[in-house]
Order: sequence, then structure tokens, then C-alpha cells
Amino acid sequence: MKGRKIFFTVAILLLCVCPAFVDPVSARDIVLSDEAGACLGCHGKQGIVKRFQSGESVNAFVDAEKFKASVHSFLTCSGCHSEFSMDNHPSRRFRSKKQYQIRASLECRRCHTDEQIKGKPIHAGLLKGNSEGKAAVCTECHSAHSVKPVTGGKVFAGEGQYCMSCHGYNFSMTFRNGEVLRLTIDRSHLEGSAHSKLSCSDCHYGFSSEEHPRRTFKSRREYTIALSESCRRCHFDKYTKTQESIHYAMLSKGNLKAPACTDCHGAHSIASGSREKSLTARRCQGCHPAIYDIYAKSVHGKALFDEHNQDVPICVDCHTAHDIIHPHTLDYRESIPAMCSNCHADKAIMAKYGLSTDVVKTYLSDFHGITLGFYKKQRETLSKPARPIAVCTDCHGIHNISSTRGTDAAVLKANLVKRCQQCHKDAPKNFPDTWLSHYEPTPARAPLVYAVNLIYKIFIPILVIGLFLQILLHIWRYAVDR
Amino acid sequence: MTDIQTDAEVKVRRFSRGRIFEHWLAALTFTILVVTGISQRFFALDISQWLILKLGGIDNVRLIHRYAAAVFVIAAASHIVIAALGIVLKKWQPSMVINRNDFTDAVHDIRYYIGRENAPARCDRYTYKQKFEYWGILTGGLLMIATGFILWFPMTVVRVFPGELIPAAKALHSNEAMVIVLLIAVWHIYNSIFSPEVFPLDTSIFTGYISRERMAREHPIELARIEGTGLGEINGHTQKDAPVLKAEEPSS
Repeated sequence: MKGRKIFFTVAILLLCVCPAFVDPVSARDIVLSDEAGACLGCHGKQGIVKRFQSGESVNAFVDAEKFKASVHSFLTCSGCHSEFSMDNHPSRRFRSKKQYQIRASLECRRCHTDEQIKGKPIHAGLLKGNSEGKAAVCTECHSAHSVKPVTGGKVFAGEGQYCMSCHGYNFSMTFRNGEVLRLTIDRSHLEGSAHSKLSCSDCHYGFSSEEHPRRTFKSRREYTIALSESCRRCHFDKYTKTQESIHYAMLSKGNLKAPACTDCHGAHSIASGSREKSLTARRCQGCHPAIYDIYAKSVHGKALFDEHNQDVPICVDCHTAHDIIHPHTLDYRESIPAMCSNCHADKAIMAKYGLSTDVVKTYLSDFHGITLGFYKKQRETLSKPARPIAVCTDCHGIHNISSTRGTDAAVLKANLVKRCQQCHKDAPKNFPDTWLSHYEPTPARAPLVYAVNLIYKIFIPILVIGLFLQILLHIWRYAVDR
Repeated sequence: MTDIQTDAEVKVRRFSRGRIFEHWLAALTFTILVVTGISQRFFALDISQWLILKLGGIDNVRLIHRYAAAVFVIAAASHIVIAALGIVLKKWQPSMVINRNDFTDAVHDIRYYIGRENAPARCDRYTYKQKFEYWGILTGGLLMIATGFILWFPMTVVRVFPGELIPAAKALHSNEAMVIVLLIAVWHIYNSIFSPEVFPLDTSIFTGYISRERMAREHPIELARIEGTGLGEINGHTQKDAPVLKAEEPSS
């Protein structure tokens, strides 16, 4: 026992004095101990498997090159596998792989004492668990024969730097379903993000230089969704809106595919929204590729992607970003004219493209628009009329909105009749003529309507003036006679 | 019966029950049509919105408007048929037909108003003012019925006529409605309520009777015919113990 202690003291001293030993570049130059050479005689070959009572097994193969590259390359095998030696190879029985790993971890602790490792918050948490009976397995993070050096113990300027002392390196965590998540953070992403002024623990609450709780998740997706809850602490307004959305409804029904905050906004590279519309539109593409493709071919999509036009609406302009409601609801349907009029009633925007703002006005003052307006109001106070009323998208298309410019009038009319017939089943071929195509009546466009309006515009004032004149004269004469 | 009755107390029968019922029917359907129609035309006004919601929503209002229109069509059709039959069967005088006297009466009255004549025009059963209103409402009503039909059955109409007829009918319907409403609201309401001659209300269309005094002033020719006297004796004539006279069946 005494000799062994001296051996380890020397070994640790060597480790501190000779950084060359731990340099992976010179791994090939490292000469393994005789004992290690003897062990690798068997364990350096594939095929040796240790079975446990639970039926689990562990591969007893040791990759010599990886071991040479490890920080422990100077150790003998029995340095860790203390019950084994060149002469003695006891047969041991373990209930499970876990039990074996816990036992093996005790070997680490013979050198890496509690005092030494508790400075790291993740270790502090693990040690606390250990004392409560939840044994920690060192090799889960550090692995076994390929154990890597860990730099640390420096004085850290800030929390970010402190966390980056580990998370700047390439390592990962494994979820219960076997998925792997890289835990390496690219500082440049963080610094370029909208959150560059935040500390790590502002989002990863519960973590600090003192605390590093160990959490387990079933899957990578569950982890993402759980972490998105962090956003609520600052963005409560958006979070509340999200709770009214179809995405949240799907999520709460257990559909983990529904997007959480970070799916659209990103995590460490989070950017402020709406800086570039095409980028925002692409966020939706991930889950809605078919609709995205249709949109990209529409008059709006083409302008966005081909001409880099920032006036056009993207997904979120109609569907909103956070409180996205189901687009098949009547509420959504009835809000469509208002959505379109955000731009199509805006003279400044429409003038750029030579488009008329009359489209909204003429819609709202015609049968469809009036009915829709009242249905919206009736919904608040009276019964709910279930009859759908034609809105912009019923004729112009939804994601596939195309320009009517340059299209032959006859083709437009033929297409329009089909749209009319969806509700007005027995509409004849010239039914679209009964509507003034969003135009105000002019002598050229609708001479009959224009003439009628003009005649009455002249006739009504004459009538009213004439009648009032008669009345006043009558009263005057009556007064005079008395 | 008192011994002496003044002309104001002596009543002359002017309208039969049929005409009184016709007026009630027209007034009622007209009011419903105006309320439900004008609120649709000026749908953006707060009062229209309030009214339409009170009536159970836009679909209800459109339905009420059409039912009332159907009643109005029946009333108008029966009125025309009865009037035509009455005249053809020589039961009634064609007292509502416009003739030359109406134009000269109108000119005479304007001259009277501005002080160029000493007395108003002496009219028969219907004054030129009443004829103007009657024919205005009747032709306007027929125009409303025609355009209303086009708007009620656009699919059918458009199979035969060009499509622009529909928006033109809509323009005509709502503009003509304004004409009729103004005619009633300004002319009719003045002449039967606010005119100093009848204020506070001309009750003859409700009771069927009119005072002899008013008959003498407003319809002297008719009064002379009823009483079988010369026109000259009507003015200033005070009849004592006059019997309540039965008027001939009026045409409207």
C-alpha cells in the first residue's frame, strides 16, 4: 500500500512537471509501461466482452492509441484497475453495468479527491448527489481510457468566460434515447447575438460558478422545449401570446414537433427579428416546406426572393409570429381583409407599384364586405353565423397569390366564375360582370352605374331645394295673411 | 246635436275604410322598408350598426326588408288594380289624373305666395301638391319594386340581361330610395303635420272625415260639387245644422 501511494505521488508530480506527457501531438512517442503492454496483449484485441448479471455487457477492448493520447497514458493499468496485476486477474461479478461504473469511479476518487474536484460547480452538484446516495459516474463525462486533460483553475473575468472554460471545448451530452447534443459554445455566435450582454445563467438559470445541477432528459427535443421556458422570464408578453397559438396547443397536446422559441429564434446565436424578411420566412420553411415553395412562386414570394423586396408580406405578416391561430377558423378568415389592407390600403406603399387602394374600399362597401363586417360584429353579441363570406383570398388565392396584370380579361373572367360558383352554385357565365371588379364606377368602366349616380346627384339637391322653397314660401304667406 | 255648428265642426266624409287601410298598410311597410333599407345603405353609421344588431344581424335585416317588400308589392298591385277597375267601371272619378289645371294651380299658388295673387288656387278633390306626391311615390315605388326584384334575383336576371344591370339597379334602388324618403320626410310630413293649415296633424286619412272649413279652403271645387252649389257660394258660406255628408267613393 505504501509503495503504491509513493508511486501515485510521483505520478501526479510528473503530471504537473511534464506537460509534454499530456500533449496529444506526441502521443505516438509515449512508451507504455510493461504492465500496460502485458494487459494490452489481450485487451488490445477486439472481442473481449464482460457480461453482467443484468444481461448488459461492456466491451473490454482498449484502444492503445487512444490510451496513449489520454492524460493517463503514464499510468499502469493497475493504477486504476487496482485489483488486477500482471499476476492476478480476479473474476468479479457485478449486478449491472451501472454498478460496475460506480465501482470504477471510486478508483478515480483515490487520486482526484473531493477537495480537489469540488471547485468545479458540476462536481459540487455531483458530490452532493453522491452524499445523498445518487452515485456519480466519472466516465460518463470524462470517458475511461481516453480521458482528456481539463484546463481550469484560472481566474475568470466573468461568468461567460468561466463557463467557456469547459463549454469552449468539444464535448457533448447524451440523452436517454441516445441522441447527442454538442455542448460546445461558439463565442462568436454569442457575441454577435441580441443577447450579447446577458450572462449564461440569465437563460440557464440554476447554473452558476457554484451550482451545476445535473439534469437528464429523455430526448434532445425535450431538452429544447424545456430550455425554451427560460425565454419567458424576460419575454413574458411574447410567451403569453404564444400560449394562444396553434403551435402551443399542439405542444401541450404532446406533439413535440411543434416549434418552441429557439426553433425560430435560435439559441446562442439569437438575433433580433425582422431584420431581413427572407430569413424570417425561411424559419417557417423548416416545418412548412410545401407552403413555403408555393409562397416563393407567388407575386409576393417572387418579389421577396428575386428582387429582395422588403415591402411584401411574409408568413408572419398574416399569421403573426407568436399568437398564430388556426387559419381554418372563422375568426382568422374574417380578419383577412384587414390583413391585406395593411398594405393594399396604404397609398404610400401601393403608389410604388402602381396599385389602387380602392380594392379594399370597394370590397368593404359591397355585399361581401358589408356582410363580413356585420358577421364579425354579430359574433361578439349575437349567434355565430357559420356561413363563410368571400374574402380576398377566396378569389386571389392564399399562398399562391398571383398578379392579375397582363392576364387576358377573358381568362380572368372564366377563372372568376369558377370562384363565384363555389358559393353561388348556379351562377351563370357572365355573373362576374355584375361586380365592378374593385373599380369605382366611371364613364368608361361602368357607364350605366355612373349615369344613374350622376343623375341623382343632380336631381336630389334640386328636389330638396325646390320642396324647401315651397314650404318656406307657404309659411311666409301664411304668416303675412295673419 | 247642438243647434249651431261652425264650419270647423261640420265634418265631410273624405276617405272610405278601404283607403284608410291602404294608407296604414303603405305607411307600415314603407317604414319597415326605410328602416331596414337606409340602415343597409348607411351601414357604417353607429345608429345603423346598432339597429342592425338589434334586429338580429344583417341577414335578418335583409330578410325583413324582402318580406316587407313582398307586402309592399301586393299593396301596390292591389291599389293599381282597384284604382283602374274603379275608373274603368265608372264607379269613381279619375280624380288623381294630372290635368292642365294642376300646372296653372301651381303657378297660381307661387304667385299667391309672393303676393301677386290675393287667394290660393281653388282645387278639386286632390290639389296639385297631393298629385305630385302621389305620382312621385307611385312611380318611385314601381321603380323600387323593379330594381328590388333585380337585386333579389341577380342570377336569374343576369341570364337574360347584361351583368352591369345589377350594380346599376343597386345604384338606382338606393338613390331612388333617397328621393322617396326625402319626399315623404320633407313634403308629406310638412303637409300633413307641420303645415300651419293642419298642425298638429291632418287626421282625415285616419278618421276618414275632414272639416267643412278645410274642404272649403283646400278643395272648394269638390265641396261645391258635393253640396250642389255654385263655386262662388262656397267661400264664407256657413251652414247651420248641416248633415254629415257622404262623399263619393274616392279613388285614393
